[in-house]
Amino acid sequence: MGARRLLSVACMLGVVLAAERAAAQASDKAPHGALAMSEQQKRLDTLSLGSPTGAPPLRVTPAAWAATIPSDNAMTPERVALGHKLFFDVRLSADGTVACATCHDVSRGFTDQRPVSEGIGGKLGRRNAPTVLNATFLATQFWDGRAPRLEDQAKLPIVNPIEMGMPNGEAAVAKIAGDAEYVKLFQAAYSRAPNYEDVGRALATFERTLVFLDAPFDRWSDGDTKAMSADAVKGFALYQGKARCVSCHPINGASPVGSDDRFHNIGVSARHQDFESLAGRALTELAKGGDSQAAIDKLALESDLSELGRFLVTKRRSDVGAFKTEQLRNVGVTGPYMHDGSMQTLWDVVDHYNRGGEANLYLDGGVEPLALSETEINQLVAFLFALTDVRFASQVRTIEAAQRARAKTTRPFRENDLAFRKVIPFEARVRGEKK
Amino acid sequence: MRARVIRASALLALLALAGVWILRATRSADAASALGKDTAEVTLCDGQTKVEFAADAPKTPESGQKIADALMKKWREKNPNVDWEAEELTHHTIAPAADNKDLVGSPQGATYGEISERDVLLWKTESERFVVAGSKVFHSGAELGSTIGVSCDMCHPDAANTHPETYPKYQVQLGRVVLLRDMINWCIEHPVRATPLAADDPRMRALEAYIYAQRKGAALNYGRR
Amino acid sequence: MKSVETKYLESREELLSGLGKLNRRQFMKVAGAAAGAALAQGILPPHSFTPVRVASAATGDAGGFRFAYISDSHLYTRDKNDRFVRGLLRAVDDVNRMDPQPDFVLYGGDLAQLGRPEELETGAQILKNLKAPVRMMVGEHDWYFDMGEKWRSLFGADNYSFEHKGVRFVTVNSVVEAAFWTAKGLTPAERMGTVAGLDNGTQSSFTVGDANRAWLTKELEGVKNETPLVVFSHSPLYKLYKKWNFWTDDAEEVQKILKRFDTVTVIHGHTHQVLTNRIGNISFHGMLSTAWPWPYAPQGLPEMTIQMSRPDPFDPNDGCGDGEVTVNPDGMVDKLYNLWNRNPVTVSRTYMKSNGKEDRPPKPLLASY
Repeated sequence: MGARRLLSVACMLGVVLAAERAAAQASDKAPHGALAMSEQQKRLDTLSLGSPTGAPPLRVTPAAWAATIPSDNAMTPERVALGHKLFFDVRLSADGTVACATCHDVSRGFTDQRPVSEGIGGKLGRRNAPTVLNATFLATQFWDGRAPRLEDQAKLPIVNPIEMGMPNGEAAVAKIAGDAEYVKLFQAAYSRAPNYEDVGRALATFERTLVFLDAPFDRWSDGDTKAMSADAVKGFALYQGKARCVSCHPINGASPVGSDDRFHNIGVSARHQDFESLAGRALTELAKGGDSQAAIDKLALESDLSELGRFLVTKRRSDVGAFKTEQLRNVGVTGPYMHDGSMQTLWDVVDHYNRGGEANLYLDGGVEPLALSETEINQLVAFLFALTDVRFASQVRTIEAAQRARAKTTRPFRENDLAFRKVIPFEARVRGEKK
Repeated sequence: MRARVIRASALLALLALAGVWILRATRSADAASALGKDTAEVTLCDGQTKVEFAADAPKTPESGQKIADALMKKWREKNPNVDWEAEELTHHTIAPAADNKDLVGSPQGATYGEISERDVLLWKTESERFVVAGSKVFHSGAELGSTIGVSCDMCHPDAANTHPETYPKYQVQLGRVVLLRDMINWCIEHPVRATPLAADDPRMRALEAYIYAQRKGAALNYGRR
Repeated sequence: MKSVETKYLESREELLSGLGKLNRRQFMKVAGAAAGAALAQGILPPHSFTPVRVASAATGDAGGFRFAYISDSHLYTRDKNDRFVRGLLRAVDDVNRMDPQPDFVLYGGDLAQLGRPEELETGAQILKNLKAPVRMMVGEHDWYFDMGEKWRSLFGADNYSFEHKGVRFVTVNSVVEAAFWTAKGLTPAERMGTVAGLDNGTQSSFTVGDANRAWLTKELEGVKNETPLVVFSHSPLYKLYKKWNFWTDDAEEVQKILKRFDTVTVIHGHTHQVLTNRIGNISFHGMLSTAWPWPYAPQGLPEMTIQMSRPDPFDPNDGCGDGEVTVNPDGMVDKLYNLWNRNPVTVSRTYMKSNGKEDRPPKPLLASY
């Protein structure tokens, strides 16, 4: 049995390696490090996606599912098909090198697995690309929640100067409106000619088929006691208790992806920025007038004001440096982590919380030192990996091994004196000591 | 009296269930050398009263009972007249339990339905004594096992803002639907920084009793945020 | 279709750009109303962002001034309980970052939890880090272990007064309790333990007491009726809820002493919450704790009080904080509650003067149960 399992692991590793070798071949490579669009679509066909007619996915109650779909954009196969085509279409970018799938790459957990994304002309943004998997379950989109729905979110990267760089939505539509197939697809989906609103709607509809909620954790919850390792089971208890994860990352029938849909300052940007001077600057910028959605979009991506997070949207002090609680589903394949991709491994993430985040005046009070032992950290990480859908099983094994190897030598956020409260945040600063 | 019984039964539970705990008791080197064999020391939850016994004593409920009895005997000798309930009531008030006086009599002459003055007195006093025991735990960081000197009353004087009438409900801190006791345990684990209690721990039962009693008259409204 | 956020931003922008066009003097005139409008939407920038816009206007050429407060830290020693120490450290950090710095910092009492010398020393050590001068007030938790001996040796007299920019300040010890401990033969630790329990009915009620009232009368003898008067007391100098000592037993007699003045403000600690009252010429404002918030008393809440939203136990900072008081030239104060992890709440002088009719602070989202 053991030998057979080993063999099968080896086989899968072989498959992965072969796939990666294949991906490395020049012909398969798209610009900006993405897998070629045609290859991505082939991979997509091997994943069994959600129903295009809007039937609730596995383990999601009809009520919870219905709440994620706007009443003016019901799911139909035609809309999914249109969204599918748009998702992989590089023509939507100014220089024809970037599609949605560039930063939401099928072969990379529907993100780009890099700290921050690369857009047209190799320009780097300021934020980590979140996965589009299960994104429909989140109440707001983007790290600062500035788009309320997927429909709104999908339209913004296309016109973002650093991402896809189109001057406006009409220009994007103009690039595809001459394509007879698009005309046909738009007509079938929305009974009208191509237009930008429907681009957003169709992309959102396609993304609603990307529901990946079939993880070892779910199978264990369903009663398969062998689906999760003993360590992961202990990690789940920590998740619910001592480690306080569940308070912001609830996973249950109503909220299957593990986000409270709120915004918390956990101190990630405090490592890079002085919040108060930044906040002062933000107010000055805003006083100049014209802080429309586009201006905020621009500010967030082009300046270090981006580190103020949700504050840029609400101007509430409780939101300074606060970012959306990201879902925990599929974290095994969606690293690096946090809004700036500053954490390479899940060990780093747990280390960060274990030390009570990074102290700053706006730190969420719920972020406290956790006093987790090394064993407990490993258990918690094991649980987090068990939240990745079985359709990514081989990939997550490779990534887990790589992260584990890295964590053996590099733990930049581990700080036991803080975790075990031997050192109190603010103490050094109040006493005028340098940190 | 009730408080005493609760303490003793808590101790018994520990002794009966946890051989480990006995082994963890301080080994007394001096006593060991004097007697020529290992002895272990068990301390009562007052932190002062102690008894020694052979370290190789059998780990059975009977043996545990013996140790518990010895501890309580010693404690009673030291504290001959103490009345914990009366003492607790000088510090903290509790809402009175229903007196049921309207039920006294036997209008239909039912065998089991005949309710006497004595019955209603018993019901009321016993109910209140349980609540008093809860008040004692509620107001004591030591009873709760707080590692940072925090007790429930520090944020909830007279159990204010504990809203037991709103349970069961979706508790955001816990990401699921909980009962009052689950939230008590969350508080014990986090702000109080102690070890959560078992659902049937006498202290948990007493805490629930006190909290419910203090909200006498509030309408049940489960699910209310 | 405009998103909620866009609409929100537009209304906010309208307000802020309106404010930006005003010079300081004009700002003073409209500050109350504008701040009220902003607060109603929960969008008034907090003090750390306000130097440019609000704070400098409020303390500029109009002649007012501003002091900060920190209160009710309830420290154990650092090794016994780091949580409350952390709260005080944060408040000190908070106040030190105010720009411009306040004229002074009022410490509102209950620096210690059990009145132990080590607790008071820990607190004194932390407070030394404040850049602005500190004015200390005593609370019952500081007092009843050694009857104020250690506290006085660290901070001086418990009753004192001073003048600042034309305003008379008086700090008075209002936590004097009749000796409930003598008859019972309590040890100092037992006495302190009893007083430390808010709902512990064994203790007596707070009073200012004959001696302190006599001192107060004498201290105010030469002060003119039109001089603005600010009184610091640990307990509220009125009768709210006796059972928790949200109460001063001789409040009426103290109020009588203060009655002849045109404008009196009492700033008190002990209640750990946003608490507002007005009795005749006297405005009463509570202070936030850096350790934990108290629930509102089940009865007796003053009509002027608009409760703060019920704190979230998950966030140990929620409902805690520090704050500042802007004393205006007319002697009336704007009282700012700097609630950590929330938007600040200001109880303005306009609100007080109009007896709650104008410039109402925002309603709580979650009220007390």
